[in-house]
Amino acid sequence: MINKLIGRTSVRDNIKLSEDPSYPIFKELYEKQKKAIWFPEELNIQQDALDYHSLSEDEKDLFDTAVGYFCSSELLVQNVLVNSFFPLLTDPHAKMSFSTQLFMENIHSDFFEIVLQSFGMDREKMYDVAFDDPILRKKQSLIVDEIDKISYGQIDPETLEGQKQVLRAILLNNIILEGIFFYSSFAHFFALKDMAKMKNVVSGVELVLIDESLHLQNGIEAILIMLDENPEIVKDTEYVQDIRDVILEGTALEIEYVKHKFGDRTILGISYGELERYLKYITDRRLQELGFQQEFHITENPLRFLQKEDVKKLINFFEVSSTEYTNY
Amino acid sequence: MKRTVIKRDGTEEPFRTQKIINAIFEIIEGLEVEDDYELVFLIMKELDLKVPERVSTEELDRLVLKAIEQLIPRHPVYDTLATRQLLKLINKRIDRRLDSFRDYLEKGFEQELLHERLKDFDFELLEQSLDFERDRLLGYFGLTTMNDRYLMKNRDGEVMEKPQWFFMRVAMGIGNSNEEIIKIYNKLSKLEYLHSTPTLFNSGTVTSQYSSCYVSVIDDSLDSIMDKARETAFLAKYAGGVGTDVSRIRATGSNIASLNAPSSGAIPFIKIFDTLVNSIQQGGRRRSSQVVSMQPWHLDIDGFLDLRETTGNAYFRTPSLNTSLWMPDEMMRRIDQGEPIYLFDPGECPELVDATGDDFKKNYARRIEQAEAGELEQFRQLDSQDFFKKYLFKLAKTGHPWLIFKDEHNRHNPCPEYSVINSSNLCTEISIPNRPDSTAVCTLASVNLSKHVKEDKSDIDWEKLVDTLETMTRGLDNILDKNFYPSEAARQNTMDLRPLGIGLMGFAEALIDLDIPYDSEEAVILARKLGAFMRKIAYRTSQELAEERGAFRHYREMEEQGEGYDYPPRRNAVLLAIAPTASISIITGTTSSIDSYFSNIYSRDTLSGKHIVINRQLIEDLEEKGKWSDGMADVIKAHNGSVQYIDELDGVIDKELYKTAYEIHPRRQIDIAAAFQESIDQAVSKSLYIDEHLREDMEEIYLYAWEKKLKSTYYCFIDKVVKGEKYTEKVNKRGSRKGFGGGGAASAANGDSSDTSEPAEAGTQAELEAKARQKFGDEVVDEALEADADSCPTDPMLRRICPACE
Ligand SMILES: [Fe+2]
Ligand SMILES: [Fe+2]
Repeated sequence: MINKLIGRTSVRDNIKLSEDPSYPIFKELYEKQKKAIWFPEELNIQQDALDYHSLSEDEKDLFDTAVGYFCSSELLVQNVLVNSFFPLLTDPHAKMSFSTQLFMENIHSDFFEIVLQSFGMDREKMYDVAFDDPILRKKQSLIVDEIDKISYGQIDPETLEGQKQVLRAILLNNIILEGIFFYSSFAHFFALKDMAKMKNVVSGVELVLIDESLHLQNGIEAILIMLDENPEIVKDTEYVQDIRDVILEGTALEIEYVKHKFGDRTILGISYGELERYLKYITDRRLQELGFQQEFHITENPLRFLQKEDVKKLINFFEVSSTEYTNY
Repeated sequence: MKRTVIKRDGTEEPFRTQKIINAIFEIIEGLEVEDDYELVFLIMKELDLKVPERVSTEELDRLVLKAIEQLIPRHPVYDTLATRQLLKLINKRIDRRLDSFRDYLEKGFEQELLHERLKDFDFELLEQSLDFERDRLLGYFGLTTMNDRYLMKNRDGEVMEKPQWFFMRVAMGIGNSNEEIIKIYNKLSKLEYLHSTPTLFNSGTVTSQYSSCYVSVIDDSLDSIMDKARETAFLAKYAGGVGTDVSRIRATGSNIASLNAPSSGAIPFIKIFDTLVNSIQQGGRRRSSQVVSMQPWHLDIDGFLDLRETTGNAYFRTPSLNTSLWMPDEMMRRIDQGEPIYLFDPGECPELVDATGDDFKKNYARRIEQAEAGELEQFRQLDSQDFFKKYLFKLAKTGHPWLIFKDEHNRHNPCPEYSVINSSNLCTEISIPNRPDSTAVCTLASVNLSKHVKEDKSDIDWEKLVDTLETMTRGLDNILDKNFYPSEAARQNTMDLRPLGIGLMGFAEALIDLDIPYDSEEAVILARKLGAFMRKIAYRTSQELAEERGAFRHYREMEEQGEGYDYPPRRNAVLLAIAPTASISIITGTTSSIDSYFSNIYSRDTLSGKHIVINRQLIEDLEEKGKWSDGMADVIKAHNGSVQYIDELDGVIDKELYKTAYEIHPRRQIDIAAAFQESIDQAVSKSLYIDEHLREDMEEIYLYAWEKKLKSTYYCFIDKVVKGEKYTEKVNKRGSRKGFGGGGAASAANGDSSDTSEPAEAGTQAELEAKARQKFGDEVVDEALEADADSCPTDPMLRRICPACE
């Protein structure tokens, strides 16, 4: 088993870039991530301090939990990447792309850390929220427990079983955690901005979103390449069904979480019903991106204010931090 | 789920769909729409998911507004409906507290919000002049912005002004007589022109601070620096933008005679202002801001270029300040011709600060000779093109510093005997002589050109424009005597020069009305004509004012000294300045300043949140051609708001008319600004929009701006290449690869969308509705859609679209 994206590597391998890369997509994704690099200092987060103190209790709780969730999850993403599949990447461009992702996660933790400090939030509570809240803990456990089993060299990438395990790890990390769980919390932030609250923090989250959508792409590409290189995988009905199930399990947990958070209240103009549809819509997307059939058949994003994220942006510079400059 | 509405008095009633439907029909009334049932249906559908189990009437009103707002990108009619709904909410709230305009005025005086001076006017006459029909001219984004920040609040923080009261209050703070007030009110309420934000905030109130901009000069002494820090604090507190020239502050290593020690240069002092402005920024309706300006021959220029970097030593970074370069011609010439440039210490070469044009060139050459001869303590020689490249790189990366041309500003200085022009202001449209003891102040207002197009769209309505410009000139001149000046230096400058800043917005919107593409020679010609016309009328009015009220003081003083200027007496040293009009163009719902449409659909981030802006003119055009639909809206969105590459529209509309900012070559953008600048006596603030693929040409573009004699450039927008995943649009990242759908393993996993079976959950309401229409016919479906709890349909499919059924 040679010439696969995932394999056994040593420190002597992968130290040469080729002009004609084996996986040009990772070169492209590296370039894209490089262009997206930003720094938390570019945002005037302190500007939102007054806003923060005027949030209603529900709104504050939603904001705090989202910040706390990201605080620890950004670092979790790094753990998963480093401890499970990063050492098994055999291609230097793929390594560059995923290590840029690692670097970007630093920026994100840094950013959420600054948010936490700027508003005098309870740091212990914030960092613990993801494991203290019973429902958030379920979400985190889904990722953590599985990764535990395959970390630190417990995988033999030279076997089909090993390839399958790595694929699942990438899926859990880049698709479920970054592509579903994160996307759910993004919506809470954008709803705030839609109500003209916490605009500078949310400008930062807009940048995080750009980054995460690139990480998602890293994951999708890696998975599609692995499926291509290991045609046996898709023939394993049970395994394929398992993959689909774990995605849907992630969605179910996320839906359970927003149900518990929103109940029958409408916060920031959005309700549980809308969020549930939104998550189903996002999940359908993820399924299709991996070649699965849709599960929920939701064709339209019910959170219409999100289209504001899709079009070109013009910023009143003196009012809101700009997210429209490219660093190089 | 059974829903309950909690009324204001605390009583509860069951949630009734029909009641809301009726309320929506009420706001639709009088609107020309094809199918009002469909409108109501769509809104109800949006609303349905939002309404929680228990909801207060106020919350419900807000949710209805949110539901309508979400539909705005589909059609301008939703913008109108959202505006009406918001108006209803504003009026409802105010009516609970205030009976009438008179009542509002009285409460305003009682709470010491309104200025005593307003009591001189005839309230009854003014009240009769209010025309609430004009509320309809406002768009949703404009009204939201007004409601959030412009409408005056009482001491408890509750909005106490209806939009028409607001316009009248502003007019009352400007006009000198009842007649003049009514005249100004009429113009403002018809959105024919608007004053700048500080005037709209403060006119007629106890905080009579009308001015947008202050431009100060710091001398090379600790005294002056601390003095200006103090002045800046007060200027910033009253919501003005402050521009400050720091070119005089001696460079790093320069000897301080009194200490006989080397100076630490200009940068640490600039940092003081960063801290200061940041501390005052907290709160308030608009961030106070400051721009510091430096001439690029200053030895500390490297550090200056780095001020807005986000990494490095925080002590040398100023995240809260803006920066600009005050660039002399001689240095541009050297850049253009590849000759080296030299940096000097203003402590050693102070004459370079004030010198302009040929005088600067001569002095600069002399200093270069001395430098080469080893006669100067400090200097540096740089490759001019390397420097320019580095500067433009910083501009693209950090957005700063902006490039402003010192000599072009000074060539047109009408009062060189008063002082040189030391720098421009925050928004780069100001060009007023100033000194350490005389801080320039500018009070601005802008014509809304889109309201000055003849009804048959054949031409600009020049007569109306005369009327507007005259009203503006007189109104602005009135303001100068009512204004509160936060510093003596600011009062001094105004009383000496009486500068005004009449500008323009809605240029691009007017062009489309006139069928002229922004990217055309015709647009340049119209720009030139408009500039000249504005100058002619404003100057004529100012000369009349000089006869009535006297010429500006410095003019008279020079005349008395027998060294009078060679132009006829006028009331104001300068009158015209084209500002960026970021906020007031939103209130009027038009294109900002002389810029083109940014895009045909885009979102705009402001203090009032994020709003989607659509090019209404394009939609109307497409509708007329029968080409507007949800599908087309999605196609335009998928093209990032551009219509240029939508083949379907070839020959249907004139695509040239709808080019967006990055699709118009920066040269053309510069040509238009230059055509205005020919006649504008202060400056035209011009942002440049540069497509990523022209990034390599930035040097050429900025040299061109200099050759075309622009005085000022402003923000440099470069189209961002890396964007996030689109939320509301299908994206195919997989391409033709089959992924998990490749193996035919599990049926559930079988990829590519060959789903013929009935899906588990039947898609969106719209799909459901379409299916129902097919099955039952329109009549039955419409009935089901209108059903309330008493008349629910029995068919399960129909029940699912019935808003009352759960
Ligand atoms: Fe991240
Ligand atoms: Fe990530």
